[in-house]
Amino acid sequence: MDERPEERLVEEARRGGREAFAELVRRHERRVFGVALRMAGNRPDADDLAQEVFLTAWRAVGSFRGGSSFSTWLYRIAVNTSLTFLKRRGRERNRAPFDENLPVAGPGRGLPTGPEAASSLNELSARTGQAVAALPAHFRATFALVVDQGLSHAEAAGVLGCSANTVSWRMHKARKLLQARLKPFLEEVRS
Amino acid sequence: MRCGTARRRLSDDIDGALRSGRNPGVEAHLRACPACRAYREELGRIQAAAALPAAPAPEFWDSFEKQVSRKIVAQEAGRASVAVPLSFRRRSAWAAAAAAVLAGVALGYLLLGPGPRSTEAWVPYGDPLDRLIFAAEADPELAGRVEQEFRVSIAELLPAPEETEVAAVFAADPFFWEGLSEDELQAIVAALETESGHGGPQ
Repeated sequence: MDERPEERLVEEARRGGREAFAELVRRHERRVFGVALRMAGNRPDADDLAQEVFLTAWRAVGSFRGGSSFSTWLYRIAVNTSLTFLKRRGRERNRAPFDENLPVAGPGRGLPTGPEAASSLNELSARTGQAVAALPAHFRATFALVVDQGLSHAEAAGVLGCSANTVSWRMHKARKLLQARLKPFLEEVRS
Repeated sequence: MRCGTARRRLSDDIDGALRSGRNPGVEAHLRACPACRAYREELGRIQAAAALPAAPAPEFWDSFEKQVSRKIVAQEAGRASVAVPLSFRRRSAWAAAAAAVLAGVALGYLLLGPGPRSTEAWVPYGDPLDRLIFAAEADPELAGRVEQEFRVSIAELLPAPEETEVAAVFAADPFFWEGLSEDELQAIVAALETESGHGGPQ
């Protein structure tokens, strides 16, 4: 296992060290892939996106001045690359507008127990994933950083180039949208 | 405390961002408001259900790392076009270039006023830069001219334009696309038209 501190790896990568950059890829690939997966919504696109993120990082690492942590900088590239990818792909344009009044079909059965309960939880998970995927891109990016990656509001703000208060507001708004969209399903499962 | 305030703070609380001293007020509201209690319970369930799928297997990462390394080597050898989809690279370059072009032309164009916009006649959909890029994606010749125009614009704006510099511009601002106004996008298109004569489809 490579014990070199990250600062040293970054410095070596800045000087063109491909082996040091490869170690940085190993250390950050899961996080980058997680953001890409949440933003792209499927693994093949997330795979392409995550690779593109690291290629962009490799091209730009020479200009990385350490003003933020390397992971913050990488997250920023991941979000930026994902948003550009989505925009160019026209997914956001073609995506149905988020309608909080649009009911998500409930499970159509009574109190779940045993395997039924597990199945119900799986269905809730799948529907929640769909609802998150339908969030506006900036909300989804914020959600990916805060919920999936566990960043604080201040850390996410550093990635997104906005204030922590904006992150707080986006998370609140995202949750309201998700709750409204999933409400029929949540109520039916609970009943 | 109103429900809206309480719910905003509930969201902060889930993220561990509720400022100290605010929790008692939220709890007091929850004791008196069954709707917000139900909301909190639903948010908790949504949070638990929102986990990403399980991480890919170890062999996926082996393959991923090899692909990234291979593309870097190819890029270093000047063969990036083999490794990275051309359209994606082009889009990335356009994205970076758009930010640079914006800085150079938007202000002057807006000060001079919009004037007649011939782009309106040839592209009936989307925002202006999208229209141009969509048109360019269907027309390799136009795509080449547009990309060249962006690169020229970057070259004029950056002291030592290299691919690294383009990537740095691209990485610096996560939201420049989303943040561009219609006028700013139109300014970019107008600059492409008026400064180089590269307009819509032939």
